[in-house]
Amino acid sequence: MCCNCAQQGFKSYDMNIENTASQMRKGVLEFCILSIIKLGEAYPSDIIDMMKSANLNIFEGTLYPLLTRLKNAELLTYRWVESNSGPPRKYFSMTEKGAEFYKELEATWNELANAVDTITGKNKQ
Amino acid sequence: MKKVININFQGAIVPIEESAYELLQQYTESLRRYFAEEEGKDEIINDIESRISELFQARLKNGATCITDDDVNAIIDNMGRPADFEKEEGASKDSEEKTSSAQQQQQHWTSGSKRLYRDENNKILGGVCSGIGTYVGIDPWIVRIIFIVSGIGLLAYLILWIFLPTNVSLSPSGPHKKLYRNPDDKIIAGVCGGIGSYFGINPWLPRMLFLLPFIIFVFRWHNFVGFSFPDFIRFTFSPGTLFFYIILWLVIPEAKTTSEKLEMKGEKINLDSIKESVAKEMKGVSERVGKMGMEAGEFMKNKGPEMGKEFGSAVNRGSAAIGRIIILLIKIFLYMILACVALAIIVAVFSVAFVAIGLFPLKDFVLSDGWQNVLAWLTLIFFIGVPVVGIITYLIRKIARVKSARKTIRYAFVGLWVFGWICFFALISFVGRDFNSMNSFNEQSLILSNPTTTYLEVKPINSRDFRWRGWFRMEPYSSFGIADDTAMVGNVRLRIVQSPTDSFQVSYIKLSNGSSRQNADKLASLITFNGFQQDSTLYLDNGVAINKTDKFRNQQVEVTIAVPVGKRIKINRTFGYRNDVTVGWGNPNDRYWGRLGYSDYDFSYGEEYMMKVDGLHNINGDWNDDSDYEGNGEPYRYKNSIKIDSIKKQHEEQINLLREKIDSTKEAQKKEMKRLQDSLQNRRNEIDKKLKALESKTAWVTPLPLIMNSKNIYPFLNYI
Repeated sequence: MCCNCAQQGFKSYDMNIENTASQMRKGVLEFCILSIIKLGEAYPSDIIDMMKSANLNIFEGTLYPLLTRLKNAELLTYRWVESNSGPPRKYFSMTEKGAEFYKELEATWNELANAVDTITGKNKQ
Repeated sequence: MKKVININFQGAIVPIEESAYELLQQYTESLRRYFAEEEGKDEIINDIESRISELFQARLKNGATCITDDDVNAIIDNMGRPADFEKEEGASKDSEEKTSSAQQQQQHWTSGSKRLYRDENNKILGGVCSGIGTYVGIDPWIVRIIFIVSGIGLLAYLILWIFLPTNVSLSPSGPHKKLYRNPDDKIIAGVCGGIGSYFGINPWLPRMLFLLPFIIFVFRWHNFVGFSFPDFIRFTFSPGTLFFYIILWLVIPEAKTTSEKLEMKGEKINLDSIKESVAKEMKGVSERVGKMGMEAGEFMKNKGPEMGKEFGSAVNRGSAAIGRIIILLIKIFLYMILACVALAIIVAVFSVAFVAIGLFPLKDFVLSDGWQNVLAWLTLIFFIGVPVVGIITYLIRKIARVKSARKTIRYAFVGLWVFGWICFFALISFVGRDFNSMNSFNEQSLILSNPTTTYLEVKPINSRDFRWRGWFRMEPYSSFGIADDTAMVGNVRLRIVQSPTDSFQVSYIKLSNGSSRQNADKLASLITFNGFQQDSTLYLDNGVAINKTDKFRNQQVEVTIAVPVGKRIKINRTFGYRNDVTVGWGNPNDRYWGRLGYSDYDFSYGEEYMMKVDGLHNINGDWNDDSDYEGNGEPYRYKNSIKIDSIKKQHEEQINLLREKIDSTKEAQKKEMKRLQDSLQNRRNEIDKKLKALESKTAWVTPLPLIMNSKNIYPFLNYI
């Protein structure tokens, strides 16, 4: 893997907390986004705000690609909403497939959380 | 003072400082570069721009006259720069890039090399063509067309389908791969789905295998209505496979949690793999194929060695699979042999047990009371009983699926069996001691009422009549007839020898074993043996009676019948009933102690034999002596029988006669020769005399004749 990194000119993989942390975040990002959208139709700004309020900061530039991918995977769908204060907005909502996928994710997350809690000793089973 | 330009940004007119516009342009450019490989990059960039536009509008609405550098910077900071994206997503973005790119990056956590896989996400049948297409760099549909058009297509496809791994799972021997039932892919119970996931094959394959008998059944039944009954009960039929399916259904657990599902497919369960599993769902197929353009160049560079390596490893997988199959077959074969051997041993143990139990009635005849009895019981229980019980329990356990016995029980069984062995050996030694000594030999004669009879037939006394006890007969104990508390043992042996006189003589020896010589003697004397003659029939016991007090100690009776020359003898068939009476030759001067000193070759019961000088002859003309066996070794050491001696004598006599003749002839010859020579000499002398007389008379007449001697004048004299 490192060799390929070098080939493509990316920085080599070093164990710093940033990388690990961002990897962790990256893993749950989709889950969080889907969770927000599950609650109801949302557009990217809203999503960002909600995540901020939950103390999960994310760049919009990261969000949009993510949303696009989710949409391409048919987990989300959107509709254009005209706005008088600017260009039309995309409002994302969850598809059926997305709902199923979300259930999976949720189960996985719960399992993981459980596991981690157990291992770190927070969960007395 | 800065220049302000108007731009048409996302359908709105935005006044913006030129420098700010530069910044914006750079930003969008960087975005474009960053998302160059991203599927839907246009859409993403559009979204971002749209968002930026919105923010612009908001600012303008708030009273700003134009968008400044600071605005743009602030917005860009908020949005995040590509550098930030990188940092945020870190190395995983790299790998994400990779996975989002070509197909072959699936197993990035194992290796970085490109591999040929089947694409499960883009499959018509088995994703073979997709996989090949992705690997080689052409559209899968082209590959499909190639397969269809070329003749070998189907076979090659099947082979590839079996041997190529999917991009979902590693090879079946991957880490932590367990067989689960797949709840997501189930028709009935997910058995075939789970099997498919485990082996990385399409679940429809095992489904077909299970359903095949069904189909055959239906098809057949439909066509042949009056089908014969037995054919319905074949194992290959639906009941058989259904049974098998149900067993699998019960045994294989269902994969409920995601971790189990991953185990089912054989992937490592860690953050990566979960992410991978999740990410996989998101990557569209078209995405992958779209990446091919970029990979094509790279592929061209590495094509040769990579592909060679790839096919090599595919072949290896193939041959490994074949090798595994062969090993499996060998294992099955060996297990079958082992099973047969084990079965044979079990059968042997059981039969020994039965025999031992069957011998029980005889026990009292052989074993003396006390220790021996006890030991016999113990032996039966432990030596024979324990393995029988052990085997039965083992079988029951296996059938009833009870958990295997604990080690203690196993050890207990083995211990008891060892104890049984000890008892067995003790028993043998005890009993053996009772057979230690033999009695001292003591011959008794049987008085014959008419020893000068010309013909004797030997028949058994049927005083101890025993009936053949039905089902209880067991070889080789058929010679034991058990009546009440007495057993008849057929240990009577007949020896037929040539009588030195001209009358029949019958004698017998009683033999027995015992724990000591005295004991043996006592037992021997207890043997009752009867015989008497009635006209030309000799009645003898053809068995020895053993009772429970005296016990069986290999009691035997050896009867010697001396037959005079010229007389005949016949052994009735009933005497040799079940052939426990041995009849054979023996030199009366050789005494053999009881054990097999005879050969009972060729002697036929029920046939009449005539005793001649050189042996017993079957009067029907069969030669019945061992003259054929001259010169053979040990078993025929009783060749020193009369007839051989007599033959030898005869020969010697003849030889002597001949010698004498030769000698006398020689003598005669010599004499004759001498006579002739003498006469010749006389003649010569005479002639010489006469010549001399003549010479003296005519000495002066002819000197020549004087010189010549008589021989020269009369040469013919030489020839007299």
